[in-house]
Parts: sequence; C-alpha cells; structure tokens
Amino acid sequence: MSSIRIKAKERNGSVDVKTLMKHNMETGLRKKKDGSKIPEHWITDVTAESGGKVVFVAAFNTSISKDPYLAFKFAGKKGDSLTISWKDNKGKTDSAETIVK
Amino acid sequence: MFKYLRFSVVVVALAVSGIVPAGPLGIGSTATPEMIAGWDIDIRPDGVGLPPGQGSVAEGELLYEAKCASCHGLFGEGEGRWPVLAGGEGTLDTLHPEKTVGSYWPYASTLWDYIYRAMPYTAPQSLSNEEVYSIAAYVLYLNDIVEEDFVSNKETFTQVKMPNEENFFIDNRPDVQNGRCFENCADPSTFKIVTTINGVTPTGHFKEDSGVAANHYEGNPSAASGSELRIEKSVTKVALSKEALLGRGVYDKACQTCHNSGIAGAPKLGDVSGWVDRIGQGMDTLNDHAINGYQGADGVMPAKGGNMALSDDDVVNAVAYMVEASR
Repeated sequence: MSSIRIKAKERNGSVDVKTLMKHNMETGLRKKKDGSKIPEHWITDVTAESGGKVVFVAAFNTSISKDPYLAFKFAGKKGDSLTISWKDNKGKTDSAETIVK
Repeated sequence: MFKYLRFSVVVVALAVSGIVPAGPLGIGSTATPEMIAGWDIDIRPDGVGLPPGQGSVAEGELLYEAKCASCHGLFGEGEGRWPVLAGGEGTLDTLHPEKTVGSYWPYASTLWDYIYRAMPYTAPQSLSNEEVYSIAAYVLYLNDIVEEDFVSNKETFTQVKMPNEENFFIDNRPDVQNGRCFENCADPSTFKIVTTINGVTPTGHFKEDSGVAANHYEGNPSAASGSELRIEKSVTKVALSKEALLGRGVYDKACQTCHNSGIAGAPKLGDVSGWVDRIGQGMDTLNDHAINGYQGADGVMPAKGGNMALSDDDVVNAVAYMVEASR
C-alpha cells in the first residue's frame, strides 16, 4: 500500500487537495537511549502533477513533522488525474495517483 | 416530606401509564424481549453479537468525511487534541506511545461495538448497522489493515487480525489480598523491599535511607529486572505454597460461594476443626472429590464446584489453598 493518501475535490474550477504522507521524518538530532544519534531520514521534495503538468512543488526540511499533512489548491476540474510523489534524503521515492472528484 | 412526595409521583406515574405492578414491592414490570434487545448491543471479541448488514470502504469514506473527520482528521491523524485513529505503529514501548486502532486496538469486532455504541460523539447510537460496517471498514483501511476492496460484514469482520492483538493476554497472577493482621504481625521497620515492579511501583518518593536498593530509584534502567514485590519478614505467619497462591485466585472466583459461608455442608475456609478429618484422608482423596464430585454425609461437593470451565490443575491448586489456609 502506498505511503501517500490523497483526497482531491473540485469546486468552482479549483481543486482542493489534501494529502498525508507516512514518513518518519527523522531530523538526525534525536538520540537513542544509548546516546547514539538516530540517522536523519526526511523527505526533501514533494511534487504534484496533473495531466502531465506540475501543479505544486514543495521543498521539505527537518522542521516538517512526522507523517506530513499537506493541503493546497490548483486550477483543475473533476476527472483530472493527480499524481503526488516524494523523494527523501536516502534517495527513496514513492508516489500515488488519484482522480479528482 | 421529600421522600413522601417522590413516592406519590411514582404512584401517579404508574396509574397514568397503566403498567401492572409486579414483585414484592408492587412496582416495576417484567422486561419484554424487545426491551432487552434494546440494551443487548455488546459485540464480543470473537464477533458474537455482530448484526447482519454489510458495508464497504468506499461508502465508509463518504460517511467518515461527513461524520468523523471533523474531529478525527481526514486521514485519522486527529484534529487538535481529538483522538488519533491511524499511525503510531511501534510507539507503544516508547516515551510517547501513540495508541490508535492500528497500533493498539486488539479486536476489529470491538471497534464495531465502540463506534456503534459511542460515536459520533455528539449523537451516539445514531448510526445504522450498515453505516457502522462501512465506517469501521474505512478506519481499518486508514490503518492499512484491510485493502480498498474490503467488504465488511459479520463473516469478514471476525476474520480481521489486528496488529496488536498478540500483546493482550490474560493476567493469571493470583489476586493480591490486603488482609488485616491483629496478632503476631510483622514489624514494618524490619521490612526490606527487595525489588519493585518496574513501571508499576512508584519509586520516585523512596528516600536514600529507606532500605530500598539504590537501583530502584527512578531512571535507573537496571530496575527493570524485578517483576515481583517480596517482603522479608522477621515473623512469618502462614506461608502459602506456590500452588496455593495460584489456587487463591480460583477460590475467589469459584469456590468461595459455598466454602466462605458453608452452604450445602461445605467446610468453611479457615475452619480448622471442619477440615482436620478431611485433610487426614490425604490430598489425593480431596483432589479426587473436588474434581469428580462427592456425596458425603454432611453435604455435597459438585464436580469442580459446578464450574466445568476450571481445569483439573485449577481445582487442585484451589484445594491446596483451602487446605493450607485451614490447618
């Protein structure tokens, strides 16, 4: 199952997108009980594409919480496809696709 | 005066409603099956009580957004300080455990019960069976426990395996008694706390000269080794064997109904003269009579005290407890 959940709804030509990405977002500053650092692991880039066109980009850093929740709007219509993908500092990626309702 | 007033109100109410009074007090009426069904809404962990009906994740999503998301969040992340429903896996043993349906809840069937009984917060028990099946399915979907095409009904719900179910278990430690001692009691000043139950016994208030070993102060990881509280006494009254300690819990649940009060000729717990001849017959005879039942001159011992859910070992332990406590 994808790590990304998306809800996209159109109203008056504007698509309201809400998304939640499951990710640890470790800052690299936290320590384990034995004093060693927990290695940093966080999402660096988030991209949203609709119909082959990039509609939203975000550059995350360590100040973003665990399991980031994101909401944005773009001009679109019902039935458009929407793909959201992320990339983290370890090079891992994930993406999910949905149809605008 | 106040009591009199209230009584008269009851009488008037009965007269108006026309219910025939019953019982020795002349009030109330026998509940009809329909009345009982209105209260009998509990769903057990094994799924007993789940009503007919069916729901889907897709229907649940719409209902969830309309009725649940304003507090629990669109993705179960929790708005403000309202309960989080999804996520939190692997956090239960950390400093800030996050208890959610996915990380903590033991059975899908009791999730159904909870939603039906108590949700939505502002209008509990307003959801139909189908709506609860759908919403519960969607909450499970938010936790990645079921797939998007999950059809929820009585059969599928009892088959859902929750991630944290294994961590719930029956605590079979014997009950702890706080009996009072009036003679030959231990002197509290001689108590020495050997170990504490880590995480349960508060140790922060222990002072340095209280006789508690230094490794039981807060924050010392080596305190995790202890799992029981032992008190070394200078005067020992009756030391129960391990079997008897286990049997005490069984006794409290099953045997004490008769053996506490002497119903049906049962020898009472602690009645030394009543037990001495019986103990003289030997433990094997006592155990046999307790497990298989016995008809004696004084009274009757039903097999396992009539509680066939007990194992033979339970009964043997309970007999050991009664014998050791009645010498």
